[in-house]
Parts: sequence; structure tokens; C-alpha cells
Amino acid sequence: MHRVLLICAVLCSAACPLAAVAQDLRVPASVTAGDDVTIPTTGSGKATFYLVGPGVSRKSEVSLGEEIRLQGQELWNAGDYLVLVCSDICNSGTFYVTAAKPASFAFLVHPSRVPVGQSDAVSGVAFPFDQFRNLVLTPVTVSFQLTAGNKPLFSKQVRTENGAAWFRTASGKSAGLLQVVASLDDLSAKRAVQQVASDPCNLRITGQRIPIGVLVQTEPVHDCAGNVVPDGTIVTFSATEANGKSTVDAPIKQGIARAQIEATGATVVSVASGVVMGNELRIGAKP
Amino acid sequence: MNVVFNFAGWLRRGMCLAVVFTSLCGFVLSAHGADSAVQVQLDTKKANPRAVESLTERGILRDYRFAWTSIAQAFELNSLDSLEGAFAGDAKQILRGTVLSQQRSGFTRQYLNQNHRLEAVFYAPEGDVMELHDTAEYELRITDGGKIIHDEHVVMHFVVLMTPGADRWVIRRLQAVPQS
Amino acid sequence: MKFILPISLVVATAALMVLGLFIGGQARGTVGIAAGSAVYTPKADNAEQALKNLLADVQRRNWDRALAAVSKSSATDKESFIQEWTGSNGSLRSFSALEGFESRPLHITPDEAQIRVRLHWATPVGPLEDVRDFRLIREGDVWKTVLPKIQVPNVPAQVIPVTYLRWDLVSGGAADEWGSRNVDAPHVRIISMNAVDSAEGAVVMGEIVNEDTVPAFVNVNATLVDSAGSAIDDETSFDKINHVLLPKQVSPYRIDFPNISLKNVKSVRMDEKATLVPASADPVIGVMNQKIESDVQGKSVLHGDLFNQSGQTVNISHVIVSFYDNNAKVIWVADGYEDHALLPQSSEPFAVEIPKSVAPKVQNFHVVVDQYSLGRS
Repeated sequence: MHRVLLICAVLCSAACPLAAVAQDLRVPASVTAGDDVTIPTTGSGKATFYLVGPGVSRKSEVSLGEEIRLQGQELWNAGDYLVLVCSDICNSGTFYVTAAKPASFAFLVHPSRVPVGQSDAVSGVAFPFDQFRNLVLTPVTVSFQLTAGNKPLFSKQVRTENGAAWFRTASGKSAGLLQVVASLDDLSAKRAVQQVASDPCNLRITGQRIPIGVLVQTEPVHDCAGNVVPDGTIVTFSATEANGKSTVDAPIKQGIARAQIEATGATVVSVASGVVMGNELRIGAKP
Repeated sequence: MNVVFNFAGWLRRGMCLAVVFTSLCGFVLSAHGADSAVQVQLDTKKANPRAVESLTERGILRDYRFAWTSIAQAFELNSLDSLEGAFAGDAKQILRGTVLSQQRSGFTRQYLNQNHRLEAVFYAPEGDVMELHDTAEYELRITDGGKIIHDEHVVMHFVVLMTPGADRWVIRRLQAVPQS
Repeated sequence: MKFILPISLVVATAALMVLGLFIGGQARGTVGIAAGSAVYTPKADNAEQALKNLLADVQRRNWDRALAAVSKSSATDKESFIQEWTGSNGSLRSFSALEGFESRPLHITPDEAQIRVRLHWATPVGPLEDVRDFRLIREGDVWKTVLPKIQVPNVPAQVIPVTYLRWDLVSGGAADEWGSRNVDAPHVRIISMNAVDSAEGAVVMGEIVNEDTVPAFVNVNATLVDSAGSAIDDETSFDKINHVLLPKQVSPYRIDFPNISLKNVKSVRMDEKATLVPASADPVIGVMNQKIESDVQGKSVLHGDLFNQSGQTVNISHVIVSFYDNNAKVIWVADGYEDHALLPQSSEPFAVEIPKSVAPKVQNFHVVVDQYSLGRS
């Protein structure tokens, strides 16, 4: 009976190596990404070495008593690494790889287009990364600078918190390109925001009778700050006469929107762009 | 009655039973691994400068759970297909690299009984990136040639960057960090 | 003996083929007749049969026989007759097929008849219906159809200068650094929304504006939510919207929820989606002479003319109209496809029906035209 129990125990231990208690390996507590690492081993004979980490799953044969050498390229990715050395039993150890010094930015700037004169309309977030694309969590100071033309609009130095630095500010007063730069030591990332005219302001039309109806056009279309509303913006002309209504959605081209409308009787022409209304124009009947 | 104990025959039968037992054991465990639900709790109270919208919160919960289910499947089955959809950029590249090198080495990892306590710590003003800290608890099991070589209950800390994709939030960076 | 089977098979096959010719002829003749009683008869001795013969020949594209059924007094020729039925210039009609028709006599005397026909077209944008009145006269002992002169737009040779304006989209490659090529989606806004019950089910409608300075491809989704907060159904505006909106352009939208009553709906969740697309500011299509009138069937219809102000042919135009009540609230959105191409500097009439329940409340309306031109995005 004892022999049976003994054999059962042997079989069980063969089938379930869970029973092998992991012992600590002398692994480094922390390693900088890309650095070489050596792990000393004790004992003698051959063993199987496993390295289990982000981006790496290595299995190789090692000689116990010799150092295990981990190449820097196996440790590019920041994170936790598990080391296993298995002979009769498996010994394990873990260490962390931390990011190296910042080498690049992820710099997100929004929006890519912004109407002028809007508060808290432009924002940016910078995440510093090391040369192996690991997020640098050690606090660093990022400098944000916004310039329109050659005129500085905004400047701020922000210390990263949990790897992120951010800003938010108002858009400028003039349409045009807004340069947004994030810099850290000799690193910098540039983005551009297009500042565009706001809604049309004082939308005014003029018109005249032509053989096939009336020709109406806007005066140059500006926003309330005097910026030219971009070409392609739709202006809706509506002409109402006794026997019906005609409408034309015309794009602004070279600052002016123009439409020809079939109308023979006395006509009232109105204009709108989006939700902005303009003046009304009365044109007499065709003589 | 003279009973002759045939040790060799007994051992063969015993070994067969052991193999069956081990296989069953492995089957049950792997079935458990595939089915075990990933638990995720999300706390958005500390998110700044933007407050997390309730729809976004639901999306993050759903997509983070999906991402870890995908990781578990990919590492257990050594399959790249599972990594489609939930990851982008560096995170996807690193996870693919991990699976590919696992395929070469021939061992697998299992993440069992996952429980994630997720905390949103940064949500960009325009809502285009969210940083989360995850305190994850799971059983990490490493199997080589059908043999379990490591099985450990671990508590890990992850820094996660998630960005909105076309129809879901995707993980762009998943980086384990030491407990501070 | 061994020849009996092959011979009987040949005989049976021949008999079936002959039978098939007759039965097949009858089957084809019934296409499009709701009552299912029409048979092509070589000699049409009544007006309705004559018109059915003509339309059956149009369906089969048997142009010579169809033209033989047209009165000589008609001001039409073979080319324009064929063009009228098969379309031209890549119009919607040229991609459509006459699937069927129903006729109803309006007025019949021994020598003259007026017949109303409801034509059913199968088109790439779904089934379309067209109602036309035909006049027929007796010529000897047969009835023939009198067709009015078909007005084919005649565009004189000319040069139309256009200040061409379009937006192209440069998208970054896959290898681009994260955040280095952010181009925001266009900013669009729903400016009005109204939900009503109609005969077919619940309808959510309103208007959306592109507030941005770039073109947007827009879609509006609506989710109906019940009192427990669960989604009952969600649908999109599909083709009841002008998808490509230029800066500051406004489009109506309509989302249909068939067989759902608003009684079960607690709230409606709206979701507008906009993506950046390349687009052109041309062609400009004016909507002229818009007026609401009653048609021959007594239905309220918004009529007008689409006038192509540009120098390029618009193959398919799609009219979408929002109708407002006296509080400027959108109370209905209707649409219709123009089956003729719009040639440069020429007009085509359009008509959009207004439901009976809505017509008395309509105080104003806004028409937008979506267009598709072959070979252009």
C-alpha cells in the first residue's frame, strides 16, 4: 500500500509541476530600456531559460553557474519582465524596464481649424516618448508656444503629470495659420492650426434685372472681425414673386457669391448663409 | 493465492491515467481560461481636464474588457488574429511581437481570473486621448509543451493610453510600471 | 422500339416549345397590369388595350411596333420617342426599367379617350412611380396614342467660364507619427428636430447645417428610446438627406421608423456623423418657380424647375424639401429624384408630393438639390 502511495505521489509530482516552488533569482530591480543586463545563476548543469516580457518571449538553454546575458534590444519595451530558469524546478524573478530619456513627442493639437476669437478653442497635449517609443513617466517640463505670423500669441511651460502635459487657450483675432510648437530641451514638435473667419456678418446683396431674370450678388463677405469668409461657403438666395419662389445655393468665389434667378414679376430677394440672415432686396417687374 | 505484482504493467497503466488526468486538467484549465470573464471597474472621478461622458465611460469599460480578453486569447492560442480591433500603434506592434516570439519559442501565457481596477487620470480637452491607470490582478500561467512551468497570482500596475477609433476606443500604449 | 423514347421526347419538347410560345406571350403581356387581364392583341379595338399594347412594347423595347401604335398626328419622331423612354445623358431613366403599369380610363368617347397610367420604374435608387395622362384617338378601326411634342433640351454650343473651386483631401500614410496629421472632422450641427407619427410609422426629421469651412459628408442617426431607457430601434437618414454639405449649407433630413408608434417612445437620441470628403463647389443648381399646387389627382404637390447654372451635365438630381408650419417648425421632409439629366444652362421640372395630413399646415418650404455627375465624385 505504501508503495502505491509513493508511486502516486511520484506521478502526481510529474503531472503537476505546480508543486515546484519558485525561488528568487538575483535579477536587477529596475533597468533602463535598451540597457544590457546580466543575471547570475548558481548551481551546475543545463537549464532552460525563459524571458517573458512585452514584445519578447525567449526560451533558450543556459549553463547554471554562468551569467545569463540579456541584450539591450530584448529590453526595448518598458514594462515588467519575468525570468524563469528551469531545471528540476523553476526559479523565477521579475524586474521592470523603465523608459529612457525623452527622444520624441506625441503632440496632439486641436482643432485643426478654428474660427477666430473663440475662448478656450485651441488645445494641445504632449506625451514624451523615449527612443524606443516608451512613454516617459518621469516628470519633465514641456514648453508650448503659439504664434500667428510672427506674432507670439501664447506661451506656457508645463510639467508633465503621469506622462502628459497640456494647454488650452483662445484662438487669435485674424484668419491665417497658427503655429503651435511643443519643445523639451532640444526636442520640438510643430503643428499648424488654420484660423478661419467666423460666421458672415452684415451680409448684403445687390441685384439687377437681366434678360432671363435677375442677377444678384453679395458684397464681399466678411465676419464681424473683418476676416474674409472662405471661398466655397454657401450663400442661399431666395427670390419671392407673386407666382412662386426660387432659391439658389451659391458658393462664395473670390469673396463674392452670385446667382441668377428666373423671375419676371416684382421680386423680393433675401439672402442667408447658414443661420445668418442678410438684407432684403426689391426688384421691380420686367418692363 | 500467489499474486505477482507486475510493476511495469502497473506503471504503464498508471502513466496512461496520469496522462489522461493531466490532459483533462489542462483541458479544464484552458476551457476556464477561455471562458473566464474579465472583470473591469472604472473610476472616472479623477479624470481631468475634461470630465468623462457617461457614454464614453461605457465605451471605455466595454473596450478595455475586450482588449484584455483579446490579449488573453492571443497569448494563450499564440494567435495574431485576436489582436485585431482593440489595439493601435505601438501597443499593437508590441503585442504582435510578443505573440510572434512566443510562436517561435513554443510556450504560451494565460491570464486567468482577471480583475482590473481602472482609473482615468487624464482626459484630453478635446476628448481625443485618455490616460488610465490599471491595477490588475490575475493568475499568470506559463505553459511549455503542455507543462505548466509557472503559475502565479500577480498584481500589476499598467499605464494605458486609449484613443477613440472609428467605432470604439483602442489601446495605443499599455505599459506596466512598478507600484509607486 | 428503341426509337420510341427519343422520338416521344423530341415530340414532347417541340410541343412544349410551341405551347411555350403562346403561354409565354400571354405572360409577358400581363406584366405591369395590376388586374392581370391584359394580353397583347395585334389589333387594339379599345383605347385601354391600345395603350397597354404601347406600354408593353415599350417594356420589351419593341420600338417599331410601339411607334406603330402612336398616332401620326403626334409631334414626335423615333429618336426622341426612344430617348423619352430609355433616357439619355446618363440620367436616372437610362439606368431604369419599366417594371409595370396600371391604367385607369378618365374619359372615353367613341373616338377619343383620356387614360391615366401609373408607371412603375425599377431604378438604382429604388422603385419610383410616375403618373402620366395619355390621350388616344380612334383612327379607322384601331385606337392610337397621341403623344405631345417631346421637349429635348437643345443647348447651343458655348463656352461657360467657371471659377472652379474644389477641396481635395490629403490623408496621411499609415506610418505617420501619432498626432502629426490631425485633420478634424467637419463641425456640423442639427438645427432642428421634430418627431411625428405618420401612416407608415414614426418619422424623425429636421435640418442640419455644416458650420465648418470645409465640406462634410454627413449622416444623421436617430435612436428611439422607451420609458425604461432601452433602445427601441435606430435608423439613419439613408438617402433622405443631402449627404455632401458645403460650408454653411443646410440640408433637411428624414429618418423613418416603419411600424413604430411614438406612443411607445419616451425620447429620441440624435447622433450626427460628419467626415471630411473631397468635394466641388460646382455645379450650382437653382430651384426656380417653386409653388405648391394641386395636381390632377387632387394631391398637393410642390412644383418647380431645376436650373443647371453650370457648364457641365448633371446626370441625376435629387430634390429634398423641408416643409415648415407657421412657427417655422419643420413638419415634413419629402424628396424625389429627377429622371432626366440636367444639361448645362437648362431646366427640368420637378414635383414633390406633400402628404394630405401635412399640406394644410405648410406655410413655407426649403428645397435643396443633391446631384450626381458621372465620372466625378
